Amino acid sequence: MEYQLDIGAVTRNMGPLFQGLWITLQLTLAANAIGIVAGFALALLTTSKPAVLRWPAMLFVEFFRCTPAIVQIVWFFYCVPMIFNVFWGPIFMGIVALGLNLTAFNAEAYRASIQAVPREHLDAGIALGLSPTQRILNIVLPQALRNSVPVLLTNGIGIFQQSALVAIVGVADLMYQGKTLATATYRPIETFTVVALMYFAISYPVGQFVNWLERRQSYT
Amino acid sequence: MTSSANGSALIEIKDLHKGYGPNIQVLKGLNIEMMPGDRVVVIGPSGGGKSTLLRVVMGLEQIQGGEVRFGGKPYIRADGRKTIIDNDVRKQIGMVFQHYTLFPHLSIMENLILAPRKVHGESRASARERGAKILERFGLGNKADAYPSQLSGGQKQRVAIARALMLDPKLMLFDEVTSALDPELVAEVEQVILNLAGQGMPMMMVTHDMWFAKNVASRVIFCASGVVVEDGPPEQVLGNPREERTREFINRVFHIRA
Ligand SMILES: Nc1ncnc2c1ncn2[C@@H]1O[C@H](COP(=O)(O)OP(=O)(O)O)[C@@H](O)[C@H]1O
Ligand SMILES: [Mg+2]
Repeated sequence: MEYQLDIGAVTRNMGPLFQGLWITLQLTLAANAIGIVAGFALALLTTSKPAVLRWPAMLFVEFFRCTPAIVQIVWFFYCVPMIFNVFWGPIFMGIVALGLNLTAFNAEAYRASIQAVPREHLDAGIALGLSPTQRILNIVLPQALRNSVPVLLTNGIGIFQQSALVAIVGVADLMYQGKTLATATYRPIETFTVVALMYFAISYPVGQFVNWLERRQSYT
Repeated sequence: MTSSANGSALIEIKDLHKGYGPNIQVLKGLNIEMMPGDRVVVIGPSGGGKSTLLRVVMGLEQIQGGEVRFGGKPYIRADGRKTIIDNDVRKQIGMVFQHYTLFPHLSIMENLILAPRKVHGESRASARERGAKILERFGLGNKADAYPSQLSGGQKQRVAIARALMLDPKLMLFDEVTSALDPELVAEVEQVILNLAGQGMPMMMVTHDMWFAKNVASRVIFCASGVVVEDGPPEQVLGNPREERTREFINRVFHIRA
């Protein structure tokens, strides 16, 4: 029997998909809030002088960069409750797991843009009599933060996509709702195509915005 | 000829030793005494330590031996492995670099008033007023709200000079400030420095421009291999050097353009 495409089977059931998308967006926004703030703090640690601060921070970053996100999420969901005897709701767990991953990647983005501030600008700051703190606040950070925006956005949209991984540990996000709907309707092709298009519809404009930002910054 | 007992020297550099790491010795016992009226042009082969010398005087570098005095007072000295730099003295010296160092996230006016406000606690209004005057004087009156990326190289270097002058320096250092510029932009920057020289601003600079060196210098110092080889008025050092090494250098580098 030939497979007959019936997109209506999905479009008649968009409710759960939009609910899932809403959860996905909440995961994404909350993880980004963590990643943007904690990533900056972590970057300051990884660029600091004392080894007792720098080493643990660098270890944290490398751990998240060198293990698959899916392993991090599964590990987090199963091991954290057992080791620390804490039980949070799945959405909160998902937010923290994704947020920590993003923190590590954003810390790298911040660190790279801090180190990209030309040495000569710091020399000029000394020649102008600015103190080390004044140089960091007035010369390094404004440039570094501005330069890191495109990478932060790219990482942020990356976590929007990676967040689909939390479906496997039972968070009712867009991917999870897609799987449920596909099973219920026996319409996997239509369902997952629509799900993919929904991820695309959000990622693509942000990606284009990042391209535009990067082009604009390269002129200045 | 010069007596180091003379207390009126603006800068005294005594037996200055400076290297980068254990294997790169750049300045090897350098001595220079600069009087308040001097406009010193430092010349010498590339890699000979001219930038390093200016950076030391600006207080940007650690030194391994010797000392620098400013206005008769201790300014920089090597103390074991540490370098002790008097910050209050350092604030009386301004420097403009070969590379563009305007802060790209700040407008021209904000570049000018950053240090006066943060370092000297000057009010924004007062700093802006002085900034506007100085920009006017430099022919950049309409650029106050522009950003560095909107300026030509020559304009950027003129703003960098203006930014340093906002702090009323007692000494200005210029390290090849025109060598990154397109040829047609060199003159406007050199003219600003010549005007400053005419107003009696003490300065020490590195340049490869013979015409400019002749016009601006009251003294020319030829540095090579980390020491002062020849030190005298421009007519001597540039025109009729006493030292064979200076003569060789002048013939090789400068006579092409002169
Ligand atoms: N930050 C640095 N680290 C190591 N070596 C340096 C550094 N800066 C300069 N040098 C070396 O010191 C020497 C003198 O350099 P510099 O003072 O820039 O000479 P000049 O300005 O006369 O061309 C060169 O051999 C250069 O490679
Ligand atoms: Mg140089």
